[in-house]
Parts: sequence; structure tokens; C-alpha cells
Amino acid sequence: MNFTFRNRKISGLLAIVPANERSFLEEMANFDFPPARSLKLKQVMGYDKHRLVDGPVCASDLACFGLEHLFQGGQLDRGDIDAMIVVTQSPDYFIPPTSTVIQGRLGLKHDMFCLDITQGCAGFLIGLFQAFLLLDQPSIGKVVLINVDVMSRKVSPKDRNSYPLIGDAAAITIVERSDDASPIYANLKMDGARGEALMIPAGGFRQPSSPETAVLESDGDNNFRALDHLRMDGSAVFNFVQIEVPPMIEDLLRTAGQSMDDVDYFLFHQPNRFMLQKLAERMNAPFEKMPSNIVEHYGNSSGVTVPMVIAHNLRERLLGGSINACLAGFGVGLTWASMLMPLGKFTFCDLVDFQ
Amino acid sequence: MEEFYRKLADILEVPEVKPADVMGGFAEWDSLSILSVIAWLSSDYEIHLHASELWEISTAQNLQDLVVERRGQRR
Repeated sequence: MNFTFRNRKISGLLAIVPANERSFLEEMANFDFPPARSLKLKQVMGYDKHRLVDGPVCASDLACFGLEHLFQGGQLDRGDIDAMIVVTQSPDYFIPPTSTVIQGRLGLKHDMFCLDITQGCAGFLIGLFQAFLLLDQPSIGKVVLINVDVMSRKVSPKDRNSYPLIGDAAAITIVERSDDASPIYANLKMDGARGEALMIPAGGFRQPSSPETAVLESDGDNNFRALDHLRMDGSAVFNFVQIEVPPMIEDLLRTAGQSMDDVDYFLFHQPNRFMLQKLAERMNAPFEKMPSNIVEHYGNSSGVTVPMVIAHNLRERLLGGSINACLAGFGVGLTWASMLMPLGKFTFCDLVDFQ
Repeated sequence: MEEFYRKLADILEVPEVKPADVMGGFAEWDSLSILSVIAWLSSDYEIHLHASELWEISTAQNLQDLVVERRGQRR
């Protein structure tokens, strides 16, 4: 389905990554795979460093750290937050919502809308859609969108399908009304029938965690993970992205009456460099317009990767002026969404380490 | 179809692949090569195979047959 929004903008963005950095070279001994092939895997996929929480760090810890950073730096006034959307798949608790946990920890005002959304790789776009809608209400002037995941805690270190690419991170995006009435175009599709391609089978009410769900088992290809762990059907996800994403972007550009040339940057979710390269080829998009360096520096942090691409690559550009950006997220759900919108000029655009 | 076998040899990092060669006999016929094959067939032939289908392939000829069959289904 297609959406159109007007008079909405992102005014600032802060990404937060754990200071704890691990490298593929250190970790490849955990994989039951010949070292030469692991090195080839590293080269093809673009695996290198990734940032992981050290110990039982939770989503609200990263989020509160980031918000405090903004309060102290004067980039955000705690009294100005009228709504907080937290998009995460790794909530602190089942009950209460992580958004109210954060609100309570920071002592924010009660006159406030707190909302949790369970979404993954498309979580930045889903969060923006909701933020844009909330701004229809006159009582809401500023929405804080928090994308956060600490999925490394749910990935088996012996699963070379998932572990080398995973990263933990948070991003805080300030969404407000703008004077610019030119349309922001977006589209979204979902297919729950293919949802098992990215799944944590145990730990919910359907299959509660137990000693049995913690037992490591092979996937038939020497990857060892338990039912408590994230399971990714790599080839199903690869095919999903190659088949669904290019026509989605074509539709978006057609609806907007724009061409590939009109887009300054394709700021896409970052599954790994290989998948993005193949996607750019299939879309006939210039790869230099599609930054793909987040997995190698920080890891794939699911819904946080789009703000990570922005903070890592475009800080100066967005503090100085604006760009025509095509955003896209695709994965868990399965969900795929894209949006064409001007980004910048931001009042802040930073990336900080969580200590 | 010479091109098909040449590309397969590149992926498997061997000088040559013959139709009768058993895929499981190649040291590099592993999850990484399988992903490379999926990506190659997706971009060059517009067919989208699941890894589980490729693990079941016996010989290089069987893979070529599967590609021909899937392309036929698409027409």
C-alpha cells in the first residue's frame, strides 16, 4: 500500500553503539568451518568488526544513555517529548512496555504517548510512519523515535549464519512538523506467511524457554543454535530481498514521478554487503549511492541500521544541507517498506559509544 | 552451456567442472558456494532456488537440468 505524508521532518538523529567491539577474526574459531572458507565468507559478506553489548545490557539502557546524552548536550529538552515510540524486538520485559520503562527511568512528563512496536529490519520506516501520524494531533509537537535492539543476546556464537553479522545499537530520531508541504512518498508490504524465515522459536507464550529450548542443535550445516536463538533462513531471506525490493523501489519512484538519478542516496537496511551489492545490481542503482559499510564497522542491528548508515556516512552533509533520500527496510515479518523524503538540514547527527 | 560450467568452476575454485562431476565431491561445495550459486542463478537466469534444493543436487548436470526446468516453468 502507498502512503503520502506532508509537513513532516526529521530534525536530528543520534546513534548509540556499545563500546565493546569484537572481530570476525577472533570469533571464527567458534565456527565449525574450515578457516580458509571462513576468511572467504568474511571477504564476500563484508564481515569484520561488530559492536556487541558486554553483559546483560538491555534496550532501555542504550536508549536512556542516548537520551541523557541529548539532554546534557542541550539538543533535546526533556519536557518537549510529547510522544515516544520504541521499536524493538528485544524489550526489557514482556510487561511493561520498554517505552514506559524509559519514560519512568528518565522521569519524563505524564502528558505523553508511549508506544512499543515489535518490528525488525523495516523498523525505522514503520516507526517514522507512526511518528508522522501522531503529529496529526495538535497536542503532539515532538516525537522521539527510538530504534533499539540487543539481539546479540539471542544469537548463538556457533552460528556463522547469524553471529558474524549481528550488532547491537540504538538510535534516537527526532520527528517534528515542518513548513515544507511537498509530499513524502512511502509504501509498505507485509507477508506473515513467510515469517519463519527470521524467527526466535522459543521464549514467548507459544513455546516458553526451558532447559530443552536451550540445547544447541545443528542445522545440518554445522551451525549450532538452540530454539532460544535467532534463526535466519539465509537463502529464503536473500531471495525475498532480490524479488520484492526492486519492484517496491520502482513503484515508489514511479508514484513520486522521480527517477534513480533524482535520488542522492539509497539509505537501505544493512543485512550484509553481499546482499546490498546484488540488490543494487538488480535495481540498476549506482552502488556508490548505496552506502553498505555498516555491517563491517558495527554489525547489522536490525531496525537501527538505517539511522546508523545516516550517522556514519552523512553527518557533515546533513548538518550542512539536505539530500533527496530513498530509505528502505526489509526483513522480519516479513515486512518491506520504502520512503522518498528530503533529509536535512539536521540540528544534530552524531554517533556515540555506550560505556 | 560452456559458460554455465565455467561459472560453476569459478565458484568452486577449481579449473574445470564436468557435467558428470558429483557436487559433494568438491571440497568447496559448502554453504558459501551455495549462496554464491543462488545469487548467480538469481541474477543471470532469474530463478530463485532455496539452499535446501541445492543441497539435494547430485551432479553438475543435475544442477543444469534444474535450471533448464525452472526457466521452462517461468515461460
